[in-house]
Amino acid sequence: MRNLLPFLFLLLASAVAAQVGVSGRVTLQPYGDAAIGATVRVKGANIGAVTDIDGNYQLNVSGPEVVLVFSYTGFADQEITVGNQRTIDVALAESAAQLAEVVVTGYGAQKRSSISGSVASVSAEEIAERPILRVEQALQGRTAGVQVAQTSGSPGSVLTVRVRGVGTINNSDPLYIVDGIPVDGLDFLNPNDIESINVLKDAASAAIYGARGANGVVLITTKGGKRNQDGKISYDAYYGIQRPWRLVDLLDAREYATLQNEAYLAAGKTPPPEFANPAVLGEGTNWQEAIFEHAPIASHQLTFTGGGERSAYTLSGNYFSQDGIVGGDKANFQRATVRFNSSHDLKTWFTLGNNIGFTWLERDGLIENSQYNSPIIRALNMDPITPVRKADGTFAYSNYADTDIANPVNGIEQTHSTWRTNRVVGSVYGDLKLAPGLTFRSAYSLDATFAVQRGFVPRFDLSNVPSLSEAPAAEKNLVNSVSVGNFNWRNWQLENVLTWQKTFQQKHNLTLIAGTTALSNRYDASGGANTNLPSNDPDDAYISNTIDPIASQSAYQFASESSLFSWFGKTNYEFDDRYLFSATFRADGSSRFGRNNRYGYFPSFSAGWIASHESFWNVPFVNFFKLRASWGQNGNDRIGDYSFTTVVSTGQNYTFGPGENITNGSVALTAANPDLKWETSTQTNFGADFELFDGRVGLIADYYIKKTSDMLYAAPIPLVAGTAAPVQNVATAENRGIELALNYRGRISEVRYTLGGNISFIESEVTSLGRGGEPVYSGYVQFANANAAKTDVGHPLGAFYGYVTDGIFQSQAEVEAAAFQSEQTSPGDIRFKDLDGNGVIDANDQTYIGNPTPSIIYGFNADFSWKGLELNLFFQGTEGNDIFNSTTRYDFAYVNRPSSALNRWTGPGTSNTEPRVSLNDPNQNARISDRFIEDGSYLRLKTLQLGYNLPQNWLKKVRFDKMKIYVTGQNLLTFTKYSGLDPEIGNVGGSLEIGIDRGFYPQARTVMGGVSLTF
Amino acid sequence: MKNIRLILCALAFFGVAACQKDFLEKKPIVGVTEENFYRTEEDAIAAVNAAYATLQFQLSPAGHFRWFWGDIMSDDATKGGSGDNDVNDLLQLENFNGSSNTDLLESEWSANFEGIYRANVVLEKVPPIVMDENLKARILAEARFIRAWNYYNLVTMFGGVPLVDHVLAPSEYDMPRASANEIWDFIEQDLDIASRDLWKRSEYPPADLGRITQGAAQALLVKTYLWRQKWAEAKTTAEAIVQSNEYQLVANYADIFPLYGENNSESVFEIQYMNASGGNWGKNNANEGSFTNVFQRARGQFGGYGFNIPTQDFVDEFFKEGFEDPRLKSTVFRVGEPMGDRGVFTIDATGGFPHLYYPKKYFSNKSEDAPFGDPNPNGGSNDRVIRYADVLLMHAEAAYHTGNEDAARTSLNQVRDRVGIPHITATGQALLDAIYRERRLELGFEAHRFFDLVRTGQAPQVLQNLGFVAGIHELFPIPQSQIQATNGALTQNPGY
Repeated sequence: MRNLLPFLFLLLASAVAAQVGVSGRVTLQPYGDAAIGATVRVKGANIGAVTDIDGNYQLNVSGPEVVLVFSYTGFADQEITVGNQRTIDVALAESAAQLAEVVVTGYGAQKRSSISGSVASVSAEEIAERPILRVEQALQGRTAGVQVAQTSGSPGSVLTVRVRGVGTINNSDPLYIVDGIPVDGLDFLNPNDIESINVLKDAASAAIYGARGANGVVLITTKGGKRNQDGKISYDAYYGIQRPWRLVDLLDAREYATLQNEAYLAAGKTPPPEFANPAVLGEGTNWQEAIFEHAPIASHQLTFTGGGERSAYTLSGNYFSQDGIVGGDKANFQRATVRFNSSHDLKTWFTLGNNIGFTWLERDGLIENSQYNSPIIRALNMDPITPVRKADGTFAYSNYADTDIANPVNGIEQTHSTWRTNRVVGSVYGDLKLAPGLTFRSAYSLDATFAVQRGFVPRFDLSNVPSLSEAPAAEKNLVNSVSVGNFNWRNWQLENVLTWQKTFQQKHNLTLIAGTTALSNRYDASGGANTNLPSNDPDDAYISNTIDPIASQSAYQFASESSLFSWFGKTNYEFDDRYLFSATFRADGSSRFGRNNRYGYFPSFSAGWIASHESFWNVPFVNFFKLRASWGQNGNDRIGDYSFTTVVSTGQNYTFGPGENITNGSVALTAANPDLKWETSTQTNFGADFELFDGRVGLIADYYIKKTSDMLYAAPIPLVAGTAAPVQNVATAENRGIELALNYRGRISEVRYTLGGNISFIESEVTSLGRGGEPVYSGYVQFANANAAKTDVGHPLGAFYGYVTDGIFQSQAEVEAAAFQSEQTSPGDIRFKDLDGNGVIDANDQTYIGNPTPSIIYGFNADFSWKGLELNLFFQGTEGNDIFNSTTRYDFAYVNRPSSALNRWTGPGTSNTEPRVSLNDPNQNARISDRFIEDGSYLRLKTLQLGYNLPQNWLKKVRFDKMKIYVTGQNLLTFTKYSGLDPEIGNVGGSLEIGIDRGFYPQARTVMGGVSLTF
Repeated sequence: MKNIRLILCALAFFGVAACQKDFLEKKPIVGVTEENFYRTEEDAIAAVNAAYATLQFQLSPAGHFRWFWGDIMSDDATKGGSGDNDVNDLLQLENFNGSSNTDLLESEWSANFEGIYRANVVLEKVPPIVMDENLKARILAEARFIRAWNYYNLVTMFGGVPLVDHVLAPSEYDMPRASANEIWDFIEQDLDIASRDLWKRSEYPPADLGRITQGAAQALLVKTYLWRQKWAEAKTTAEAIVQSNEYQLVANYADIFPLYGENNSESVFEIQYMNASGGNWGKNNANEGSFTNVFQRARGQFGGYGFNIPTQDFVDEFFKEGFEDPRLKSTVFRVGEPMGDRGVFTIDATGGFPHLYYPKKYFSNKSEDAPFGDPNPNGGSNDRVIRYADVLLMHAEAAYHTGNEDAARTSLNQVRDRVGIPHITATGQALLDAIYRERRLELGFEAHRFFDLVRTGQAPQVLQNLGFVAGIHELFPIPQSQIQATNGALTQNPGY
């Protein structure tokens, strides 16, 4: 520290030295276009300038020894020593964007060319060319190895993000870090505020996040201002209309009645008289058309950004609103955000900064993805005979349906459920320069969420005669009710990081990072409910307005806490820009871990070799070639806050006394597990980066093996324990995959184009469920009253499991010749395969019949620009995944069916795929079988955007820097064999509930127009 | 100034580290978990009550009644039921041809270890509670008795078993067997402490009727000493029970077993049941009723399952002195006798099963059935585990072996006096045989016989014709599932 003071004087001295003016023009090779907005900065100081619309810049430097760094996105940096020049013109050369970009790696950043782990990135530009509604969508199809799937297409619903497949039967969500702050969920974040998203995929990269990194880490950086740039004001807005991209082909009223008649006769019953002449019934009601609508979507963003010599800032505000294609404003999502990021050099040795965002959001929720009572399952199953409304305009009910399947339009009408959140996510930090290359950062951050959920179920009764109230139970609610819940999350983090960077002998680059983190989370929830409000107006729905006695009120309150304390260290060493080494180590102590395993230790190592920088390298068309290898361990700490302890159960009673009084006894029936710890994932990664043909082609390839061990599972235990099995760290799984990302830049005459694509091949299976571990069943399907998915050793997670169909019995002789299925099996029923050959179709004849997880995910884009016109296409798809279609409630005889039911068996030779219809199903044709498994692969044109940048000479007159108008289409084309409303079905519910369509809220096809202007 | 900066920096860096130990201690805030229970006297009582609850286990999940092992395995009874296929595993065991792969033994194993676990919870969690020390000592002693009782069951059935003296962490589940001797030592140690700290029967308030008494601990200790042939200790301890004046024989033998005879003056250790909870064929850990009543009742119009059928050999024993021992009519039903208020016992009325006898001690009347119309109603009969008559006969045996034949005869004849039959005057081996025979008659169908035969070495001779092989069938096989579950850490008994 003795050297520090002279160093400070040196800094001060240099600041007051004589200034020399330098100016020039920055152009872009090979065509000499002006580089607008390129940065010119003095190396090693916070001084710089930005080029104007002609590519000109001007700045003052302290002397001839100053080195200027010219940079422009997509082009290689150039460094020039000022010397005696007063005019410095620079022509920047294109670089493959992939290798030039700066990658945020957690407590630091590196150029992609010097990274030896595996990190995927999405830049602000990529986000900008495709309006996205939620941040996660920016990753979909853009990042190799990252699978993003909708949990619902309804506005504001979360997306599941899986980095390198599902590694655990438990929580598989990645860790999200926004500006250094760990956050739960990204719905608070405005996509327009994002500067970059980086996904740490391999264990070596994620190991710096230790016990939280096993499912990958998504690092998001929001936009801050840049030093030395003119203030800019920009306004971005779009407006669009969303529509369903397809409706399912269902039976119309005539067809429905025809099949119902057959079903009655097959069951030996008389068909209803009103179906006697199906032809007169006409088309009937199309319930899908009744619930789907054209819904608006809109966004407005205002951004102010700027920077002086010693500070920079960005202030942005955004308002976003989206209605649902089902439910319209009853499924509305609105979000307003304000963000203020700034940094200030208070002293030459001290910088103070903040990143603070406030979010207000409101989401009106319909019942979604429920096989019982969602509007969609009702629309797909409601008979086409019943009209939406009666003659008097009130909603009608079905004479055929009883439970579950009720009038979906009325169902939407009667839904009043709102989730409202106020959330502040922010941090303040100070950077202290202790010595050359040595900085210390201390950051305090807070993530505070205040959410309120309000629900109101009004009185209604669809009965024809109100006094009789003859409508079925699902079509009326005679007592209204109101509920409220308050949910608060309060998380703070204190982080201290010391960074030392030094170059020795111009060849050895060393970075050392060490730090500590303390993180504390608290969750509080409380709420209540009561019935009977005099008013049926949702605006009056407050518990205090209810008239039922206080005794009928319910209330609850809950709270939980967790904390994390960590030490970490990281070292990067580069030798001569050829050999790269990196090692990290993190120790995480967590309150979630059992007493015997309070701390977890997570190491990682990686190395890279840039072969193309070797003197012997003379492959002419390969400009850059790097080999990478890494190994590391991460943990998954999402194991519940108090899983190490166990609930004490009452009711373990005994009788005492002459009166044989039952006396309470209490004990934990399940063992506590003081050994409980994180789930461990160990991952080895091999990769290679190429830049070919003068940077026109970039290729990044990775292969990895990810082994998850210590996976939490309650495997059976020896009975000496005296308790039920506790959750233990016993199960294991393995994922393997290959990821490729390719980029090509080209130009034909005046047309510039970029073609890019990435593809990931994933294989995953459970390798152990612990000793004696029983398979896990999931994916309950109501119509079969059984689970459709099974997770067992040697198979993928949540694989579909059931019977195998073998055509339709054409005759009684075929029934008798086949294995016994049921006493009443008839011709027209499905023949199931007798896999164990014992002559009886029983539980042993079930097998794995499908895999819900794609084996290939891919995305590709094509971007063209000509003069001011831009055309961007972006496709995304999956291959090899199955969907279990459980959208028809076969457990009810009265439901409508897909029009494929018209191919039903009606006599020998009529069908070998679609069984006969019958009111009852004695053969259990609707049991879980491959009959309901469909190929869920799809290819989608996610975005097509046509934009026009208005010419500079026009804009100059109105003092605009930039103005772009565009039209965008989303989900314009979808190629899939899946017959349901949408093939893009992710996890709904737990992590083993994958690819089961229970009436999935589909994604919309959206067309929108927008404008983006900066001045 | 730079030093201040350095210090600030170091503080920021290490300051958070200093308090991290408390920082990482987060206990559940809401809900009752092991982390926040066990704070009050009420919690301590609830904890030990949960251990008592395991005494009642009979189906967890398969049947493992004490009389399965004590009576059916012996020469006193055969399995019964609706036929050979009705709990066939039990028939195989009865024929000394049983498999280690049966849920009957697994359930017995499980129930005892569940009891041991709950006792261990009490012994770990109650000591730190601030409460009345006298009460605390009693609660801990109750837990020790329950732990010893479960180990007594295990060691007499399986020999050496894992010695679990604390709540196991998952890493400890693969525990190997301790030797039988170690288990016996452990039982002795627990009972020794329990018999010091437990309250005398008369010291408990009426509301605590049914709790383990000092006498119960002493009596189980006497049994333990007999198994270990520690005759002198057995004699001393049995005499301590006698001299406590807490117990006396019920005047009329027939009054011991009906519901009104529960917790009578000669009751030393009795498992409490009542008929107030519904039949529960799952794991009956929350059930206060006994399934013994319905299992042992005749089938047909009596609505039982007809298990535990007395043998002719057993009935004949009651006639060996030239008269009908009066205890027979309280022990078995014979054809023609009324079965309480359920009707007269005829072969036809029992559904045509060719059994001439049914056990009587755990018979209860229809009028005493629980009122909720359960098709398989559980009964309320307490399980009379140790009676004062047993203590007297154990004393006689211990006195005999310490060469005190007078004392032996005195205790033996005290039992015979109650039912008004002639005194035994025999000496030597004949006296010992008379004591053994008295146990069979006095304690018939109270689940003692098989274990008495094994303990006294008579089993190979008495059970020879039933298939008993010395050196093997003194013990039951360790449940195969548990050998697998521990990856072979548990070893099988010889001969299985």
